[in-house]
Parts: sequence; C-alpha cells; structure tokens
Amino acid sequence: MLDSVSFRKGLRDSVVILLAVGAFGVAYGVLAVDAGFPPWLATVSSVLIVSGAAQFTMIGLLSGGAVPVLLAATGLGLRHLPMSASLATAIGPQPLGRRLRLAWVLVDETFGLTVRAVAAGVEDIVAYKSAADLMLYSGWVAGTVFGAWFGGAIDPEAVGVGVMLPLLFLGLAAPMIQERRDWVVAASAVAAALLATLVLPPAWQITGAAALASLVGIGFGE
Amino acid sequence: MSDLGLVLAVAVITYATRLAFLVRPRQVPEGPLGRFLEVFPLALFIVIATSGLAAPAGEPAFTPALAAAVGGVAGGIVFRRNLWGVLGVGAIFFYLTRAVVQ
Repeated sequence: MLDSVSFRKGLRDSVVILLAVGAFGVAYGVLAVDAGFPPWLATVSSVLIVSGAAQFTMIGLLSGGAVPVLLAATGLGLRHLPMSASLATAIGPQPLGRRLRLAWVLVDETFGLTVRAVAAGVEDIVAYKSAADLMLYSGWVAGTVFGAWFGGAIDPEAVGVGVMLPLLFLGLAAPMIQERRDWVVAASAVAAALLATLVLPPAWQITGAAALASLVGIGFGE
Repeated sequence: MSDLGLVLAVAVITYATRLAFLVRPRQVPEGPLGRFLEVFPLALFIVIATSGLAAPAGEPAFTPALAAAVGGVAGGIVFRRNLWGVLGVGAIFFYLTRAVVQ
C-alpha cells in the first residue's frame, strides 16, 4: 500500500493539511500548557484524541470541571456519525483492523480530502486516506509537542492560525458545489451556522447547523 | 476526575463516535438517509468555514477573518475552485485587511 499511486497522491494532497494542522497543533500545545496541562499531558491528549475541536473545547472548559467537557465532547463527536457512515460506504468491505485504524483519524480535514478523492475517482481510497491520516497525525502531534514544550514565546494568533483552517474547509467545499442542490445546501449551511451561533451552545453549533443544512438538502433531492 | 482521566474519557467518546458506522461493513444507504449522507460533507465544511470566518469569537462579527472568507470565495471563482487558490487569495485578503485595520 505504501508504494501505491493512491498513497503517494494522498501524501501530496495533504501537504497543505500537514502545514495547517501543524500550526494549529502548536497553538493547541501553547494553550493547553497555559490552561494548566503539563506538556506531557498536552502531548498525550493529541496522541489519543486527535481532534482539534474536542481538544480546544476541553482546555477551554477545563476550569468548569468534567461534566461540561464530556457533554461538549459528545456534542462535537456527533458529527462523526454521518462521516463514519459516509466513509464506510466509500471504502466498502474491509478487515476489522483496517476499519479500526481508519476510524482513529476520522477528522474533518482528512474526511474532506477523502470525499474529494472519491469524487475524483481515486482508485484505492483506503491507501489515500491512510496517507492523509499519516500526514495529519504527524503534523498534529509534532505541532503539539513543539507548542507544549517550546511554544512559550509564540503567539499563534499573530500569524493568523485561527483563520487558515476555516479557509481550508472553504477550499475543500468549493469543488463539491456542482448543481443547484449543492448551492442550496451551501447557502443553508451559511445561514444555519450564523443562526446556530445565536441559539445553540458552542459545542453543538457545528453539528446542529450541519445537520439542519443537510436536512434541507434531503428535501431538494426528491 | 483527574486531567489524565478527562483526556482518556474525551478520547473514548471521540473514538466511539468515529467508529460507530465503521465497526461493521455497511451497504450504501438509500432514501433520505442516503441523501443526507450525500450532502452532509458539504454542509459540514461550509458550516465550519462560516463559523470560523464570520463568527470567530462565537457570534457574527466584521473582522479580518470575514475578509478572508470574501477572498477565499473570490479565489475560488478566479482559480476555478482550486484549493490553493482559495487558501492563497483568502490569506492575502486576511493579512491585508488586518494590516489596514490594526
């Protein structure tokens, strides 16, 4: 698998993710230590959780105790359910060990690349996603290590790290907008995202807004 | 709960949600669920982009991040939805706007 065309394409396509997620990992490492995590625990959290959204939320809510953190993690995690179903469809029957591994790094960024690869007709989706996972995981953990152990002098906001990941998602979404239904879903998603900031708790905004916009898309598919 | 225990609990919750539909092989769903899964990725990406660029502090606001969104859309149009075009033009709009505003 490591020398397959799809794997190499996955490596090439995910360079941008390596850079963006690496920078975000540095930001997480800095903020996690600021929030009271020792550097080793900040590192362990990135190794085990591999979710920027869950981890930033965790350190943001740390002072409030375990319950809000766990509720928020559940709310954020719900968006993985349709992602998981969608990926299962894309990869078809696979050995259990492979499915367990692919689920480990089922994150928004590599899922986005994988969806794009499926649409583009990439032959071996498992190899492609494995490469993207490897790049993301390396960047995320290495960034966290750097930020947690050496990041005291870094101000992630000064370089605009917080803007690059949302821009990345805009870039991933752009080629997916092809027909009228897609435009409707995209417009609904913008409206739902803005509405969600006003009516939903932060941890539920992404999941709730994406689900609402997708429901609009169902209506358009009839 | 200790901080380590909390990290482990969040890891378990996150992995469980990721694994939910991957633990057993599935057929392509049909009907409303199939259509939901078809459009969910697009909806998710647009929601994440909108939240991060139009409401970076948790509520809608005019910030340099919004200029990045405008630049990203412009880059997408000019460079025919190319990822690097969206990122590049969006970043340029962001840095220019931030330099002007600050």
